[in-house]
Amino acid sequence: MTGEILLRGTGLTKKYGGAFALADADLTIRAGEVRALVGANGAGKSTLIKILTGAVRPDAGEIEIRGNRIEPGSPARMIEAGVACIYQHANLVPAMTVLDNIFLGRQPTHALGLVNAREQRAQAERLLGGYEIDLPLDTVVGDLPTVKQKEVEIAKALSLDAKVLLMDEPTAWLSLHEVKNLFRTIESLKERRVAILYISHVLDEIYEVAQDVTILRDGRVVAACPVGHIDRPELLRRLVGEKLAREVATHSAGDVNESRRGEACLVCEGLTRAGVFHEVSFALHAGEILCITGLVGSKRTELVRAIFGADRLDSGRMMLNGRAFAPKNPRDAIERGVAFVPEDRHHDGLMLQMSVEDNLVMAMLASVSRHGVLQRRKKAAHTMQQISRLGIKPASPRYRVGKLSGGNQQKVLIGKWLQRGTRVLILDEPTVGIDVGAKSEIYSILKSLKQEGAAILIVSSDIEEVMAIADRVMVMRAGKVHGIYDTVRLTEPELISYIGGE
Amino acid sequence: MLAERRRVWLVWHPRAALHASTALPAVLLVLGALFAILKPVFLSQENLISIVHQVAIIGIMAFGMTFVVMTGGIDLSIGPVLAVAGVLAAEVLDKTADSVALATAAAIALSGAIGLVNGVLVARLKLPPIVVTLATLSIVRGGALLMAGPDLHLIRGPRAFLFIGSGTVAGLPFSVLLFLVGAAFFTFLQYRTRFGLSVTAVGDNERAAHLSGLTVARVKTIAYILCSCCAGLAGLIQSSQVHTATATYGMGIELDVIAAVVLGGTSLAGGSGAIPLTIAGVMLIGIIDNGLGLLNVPIEMQLIAKGSIIIGALAITNRDLVLEH
Amino acid sequence: MKSVARIPNKELAIFFIVTVAIFCSLSPSFRTGENFENILVGFSHMGVLAVGQAFPILLGGIDLSVGSIVALAGMVGFDGFLIFGLPGAIVIPVMLATSVVAGIFNGVLITGARLQPFVATLATMAVYRGVTYAISGRQLFPELATRSIDDDLLLGLDNYVGHFPYAFFLLLIVAGLSQLLLAATRFGRDVYAVGGNREAARLAGIPIGRTTAICYAISGFCAGLAALILVSRMTTSQENLGIGIELSAIAAAIVGGASLQGGTGNAIGPVIGAFLLGVILIGLNLVGITTYAQPVLTGLILLGAVYYDRVLLGRRRLRLGKSQ
Repeated sequence: MTGEILLRGTGLTKKYGGAFALADADLTIRAGEVRALVGANGAGKSTLIKILTGAVRPDAGEIEIRGNRIEPGSPARMIEAGVACIYQHANLVPAMTVLDNIFLGRQPTHALGLVNAREQRAQAERLLGGYEIDLPLDTVVGDLPTVKQKEVEIAKALSLDAKVLLMDEPTAWLSLHEVKNLFRTIESLKERRVAILYISHVLDEIYEVAQDVTILRDGRVVAACPVGHIDRPELLRRLVGEKLAREVATHSAGDVNESRRGEACLVCEGLTRAGVFHEVSFALHAGEILCITGLVGSKRTELVRAIFGADRLDSGRMMLNGRAFAPKNPRDAIERGVAFVPEDRHHDGLMLQMSVEDNLVMAMLASVSRHGVLQRRKKAAHTMQQISRLGIKPASPRYRVGKLSGGNQQKVLIGKWLQRGTRVLILDEPTVGIDVGAKSEIYSILKSLKQEGAAILIVSSDIEEVMAIADRVMVMRAGKVHGIYDTVRLTEPELISYIGGE
Repeated sequence: MLAERRRVWLVWHPRAALHASTALPAVLLVLGALFAILKPVFLSQENLISIVHQVAIIGIMAFGMTFVVMTGGIDLSIGPVLAVAGVLAAEVLDKTADSVALATAAAIALSGAIGLVNGVLVARLKLPPIVVTLATLSIVRGGALLMAGPDLHLIRGPRAFLFIGSGTVAGLPFSVLLFLVGAAFFTFLQYRTRFGLSVTAVGDNERAAHLSGLTVARVKTIAYILCSCCAGLAGLIQSSQVHTATATYGMGIELDVIAAVVLGGTSLAGGSGAIPLTIAGVMLIGIIDNGLGLLNVPIEMQLIAKGSIIIGALAITNRDLVLEH
Repeated sequence: MKSVARIPNKELAIFFIVTVAIFCSLSPSFRTGENFENILVGFSHMGVLAVGQAFPILLGGIDLSVGSIVALAGMVGFDGFLIFGLPGAIVIPVMLATSVVAGIFNGVLITGARLQPFVATLATMAVYRGVTYAISGRQLFPELATRSIDDDLLLGLDNYVGHFPYAFFLLLIVAGLSQLLLAATRFGRDVYAVGGNREAARLAGIPIGRTTAICYAISGFCAGLAALILVSRMTTSQENLGIGIELSAIAAAIVGGASLQGGTGNAIGPVIGAFLLGVILIGLNLVGITTYAQPVLTGLILLGAVYYDRVLLGRRRLRLGKSQ
């Protein structure tokens, strides 16, 4: 089954400032092989991918493709050599058609540089037919649903006649059904002797789809072997190191679901937004964690954004601590003690250029200022308190948030809401893209907040996470509540069947 | 004092501190030294005051512009606002038997109203700032012409009004004093007030600012109003300095102002920016103009030199920024 | 075939026709052949500039230096014809080459020195204007200032076919070729890709630097053509030629449907945009509205166009989905 070596990287090294992002990393991928690449955040995965796509030039090391040495550092050269990447975030031009996006930058042309539209269409139809992908070629990509955009991305890579395919968390935004389709496509790619580097945080997927695995930690390759030679606990240990692995294991054991539920804090009745979600009713109690889970597209994010006043509601009503609650914008919700940690930290959450201190006080400017003038002592006091409480590292209020690790950024984002008066904390996928160590710290923070009597509403797609931290779980399907369950009386397979909705 | 301020920059604007805050003073010093060697009179007290005197108008406008640019916007309409403020003041002086208070109040109020329109169009209706202020540039210029025609309007009195542009306090021209007070006020506004922090936050990440409960539209609108009021004040200074007002004053001045702001390291993409660095940017433009003037460099070479120095300074200060991305 | 470069200016064209119809019914002197000739003569160069401006705007950039490039190319022409006494066959290509070089220099500053387009072209606007003064034959040889250019080839441009000036045909050719370039060539797709999603374009191996440089070169080239039209009509050139013209050209391009965000627009809309502004300016004049009201109306039209684009069409905003 072992094919020829299609891609071989040796001694790849990249330094940023004084720190090694990648140190002397080796990597080989063979034809017809799926190699999983795993590592915590900051372990060097993205640097390695950038080197392989040519986006970044390594400080040292060599890349060979099918035995030919390639001068690194040029996207065009890597593409020419047959390396294509499917990125986590869509890299498409929204105003252009599917057809033009598939052939971005290399439309077939007549003489004089005129695009040969007929040839382009014929090639696209042949390609999509061959892989049984169904896409409307003349639709503008921005009008397509997300999953279709992903397919365009895949078609784009396939059309390059790629011999080596890098897949950067390809399932991050896909539903279970779509994931199955993707795995089918990967199988057929393997049959065509394509080599695939599969990057994922989801261990299940790795065991399902990959033959070999390369583990990165702190910029170094700590293991490279067939998947069968390494079991889950061992893989986890290699991934995060001995100590953290133990902590994660205790958290997943589900020892913490003792419910000390208080009074109903936020009561929602018949929340509806036309065409998005319908008749959603539930009560969130003080001192509990309620998780909302469901497939991608079940409209969980839309629901919590509407509760927070960021999007409009068409009908339904809410009560907060016994009083009517109808926020017109986030400001109204914040004034009533509702907080929201959005999923996309960089786009919706943080001021990356600003300091930890400024970010921490951003949602409470009124209480650290008088007559519009900032009170520096109050501001500093609040900041120091949050830094020590949340264990933000480095513990410097002046540090720029953009330079923090993902986990610490998430702590800042949570810390900004930990002020007097916050009663309801809403978090959207709080641990996506965060490494295992930081995950367990965030879980501890959430649990201690719960014990202090906060009402916590979490949107999560990670079933292990839901089972580990939730007191109750609300399953959504296509914009409707499918059911609300106590996690104590629920098993993982049951939950999966509720979500999948067979 | 200087050390204190530097520390403040480092705290609030790490990126600006890394680039413009180190490169720009260096450029200022080198140019200053160069001119001082070539023309020792450059360093004389009178000349130094006259540099500030020359840049006071652009400088005051640059303060307001810094906030607008920090919110990711731009205001091209300040030239006509400068003109219309002068014209209106002249008109009011004429009609009210030289009521200085009324004339200045009317001019500033009209400027603020134009800023409000810009702000509402940009922040509430979410129209692109370049187009909006390009349109108001045209509209306000036309309005000024409709109001006053293309002629020069002489402003003869009263002394209180002429004092704005030509008076002196303890040997300092009043306009220089206004510039210094403006510098202190806007620095305070940026670093010590809720509004200043909000401007930085909105520029850095508008969506996050909204989700943090900041009133994004209001912050932006206030920035445009402030910017326009600065232009109105500049118009009053100019008219009182030259004892005339006309609808065609301030043609193209917006580009000088924007150049000063951008030289100060404020990114046209929004976010980072610092009033103290804007002051440095303004001084750089003043020093170039003054030094080249002293050296009797012909006007065309001054234009070329100015453009080239701006390009050079930006290319240097941009370098680290590029590496970061 | 459907493509981003398709011509979606239906609303604009209708608005244009309605405006013309209104002025025709309001003013007898508007509906004369002579008046249409005036509009064509007065705004063809503006159309050329607007088409050129569309390229930087499609990339998400802007070119503020075109007014200065017009002056620079004009002065090169002045010097070539009057100081050196060269024939049009040499001077005209040199004028165009100068403007292309100026455009490429803009592109280099933007891609090489990574300056923001607004800032880079703001600075070169001063530089090119300065160079124009520096090379001005009017200053070097004051006696030439009153002499007019009498080159046959150049003056031949200021001719008519019926009521249609040659400049108008030049505009049609420029607009037609530009539209072909944008709609049917790989370069055109690259322009839309860079303007629509720069990162995607970079990862697709599209040469962003080269695409950018070419777009600014085209903008410069169009400024050179505009200079040619203006100089042939005035039979001389001045240092202050084209001051402030960049704002009208940008306005025309935006009215013509080019979005400052980049990635949407075409080469035909700006032509209609330029003539729409022209028709309104001249029409108002003929209807008897004072000249000073014209900038007010131009501003309002610009606001109306962008409001229409953003608020009415923006409902269906194109975006890449990410979360749910």
